[in-house]
Amino acid sequence: MFNIEEFDIKLDTEFIGRSFIYCDEVESTNSLLLSSKEFSQHGTVLLAEYQTKGRGRKGREWNSNPGQNLTFSILLKDDFKGVRINTINFGAAVAVAQSIENLYQLNVEMKWPNDILIDKRKIAGILLESSSKGNVINKIVVGIGINVNQPNFPGKFDIPPTSIRKEFHQLVSREKLLSEVLNNFEVILNLAFNAPDKILNDWRSRCKMIGEKIKIVDNDKIIFGIFEDIDQDGFLILKTAGKKEKIHFGDLNLR
Amino acid sequence: MDLNLLKKLIKMVEQSEITEFTVQEGELKVKISKNSKQPAQVHFQPAPDLSKPAVSVQAPAPQAAESKPTVVTSEQKPSKHYEIKSPIVGTFYRAPAPDADTYVQVGDIVSQGTVLCIVEAMKLMNEIECDISGKIIKILVENGTPVEYNQPLFLIEHV
Repeated sequence: MFNIEEFDIKLDTEFIGRSFIYCDEVESTNSLLLSSKEFSQHGTVLLAEYQTKGRGRKGREWNSNPGQNLTFSILLKDDFKGVRINTINFGAAVAVAQSIENLYQLNVEMKWPNDILIDKRKIAGILLESSSKGNVINKIVVGIGINVNQPNFPGKFDIPPTSIRKEFHQLVSREKLLSEVLNNFEVILNLAFNAPDKILNDWRSRCKMIGEKIKIVDNDKIIFGIFEDIDQDGFLILKTAGKKEKIHFGDLNLR
Repeated sequence: MDLNLLKKLIKMVEQSEITEFTVQEGELKVKISKNSKQPAQVHFQPAPDLSKPAVSVQAPAPQAAESKPTVVTSEQKPSKHYEIKSPIVGTFYRAPAPDADTYVQVGDIVSQGTVLCIVEAMKLMNEIECDISGKIIKILVENGTPVEYNQPLFLIEHV
């Protein structure tokens, strides 16, 4: 299945993925890392071939064929005081995008806040979960799902999915892709502490929706406007008739 | 009320045999109490006329030494009530998913580490853990509504 040796040779990090857990089946890689007392090392990566309760935002399911894709979580335990937490969120998307560009020369696009698309189809999704106590965030789990070698996606989707195999027209090495993502992510995580604006600029440069007319859907609420920019925390600045709103919720669609 | 006058009153009570002292000036009522076992407290309360807004008073720095009166400003609720605040701007959720059970309800006994809610911003789901032991006496925010940084979410009573 997953060749850990091959992955390890390509891994070029100091701490991300140095503690590595590989398992066949878990409920959710995020939940396990967030609640586990056993796995507590900063940078621990948990890769699972199958998630029985894989999920996205608002408990939406994330389904993935076993053995064909990458579903993994990265545990971060650090002092995040003064860090703009959402730059880690956007940074994870940038790390995945850079990796797909570097390895397969595909054109990757960002969809706010952290979906990764190729030709308007979703190739990867990210969900961060953290826990805070007394106003301090002390643990962050970055959950990443990448469609790698899955040939087709039966079912109905809000955003149609695609895979690297479909776009690159060949099977690719999951080991090489995972190590590339982790290598890039470690560099980006350091930027979150030292140069967070660099992450946001990298994200902006891949977002084609900035400047477009959009609508934001959140349950039964719909807001229309122009996607002006993202601010320093990654909030979407939406220009509506005569005013600007900061948005941190909902699903974004082109109008 | 003049802060200097307040300081004088505290000093006066401190040096006297008086254990409790109440003074009222207009809308503001000040109670100074002294107890050698527990640190004394000063309570500020608006006078019974509730149609007018409460007066907020900046208290001098509390003195911790035993038997010396300390000054505590209290805004309407007793000090044994503790607020859990939001560490981020986002949307407040009482359950992990729309159809799931809520994490906690009013009346629940919670301890350190109990998950109380999620605040979500841009696909960052932050679980807020309780950092004290107590009983939930009020949930201050409606499910699914936006919250600001540092906004109180729960009122917890120490037990």
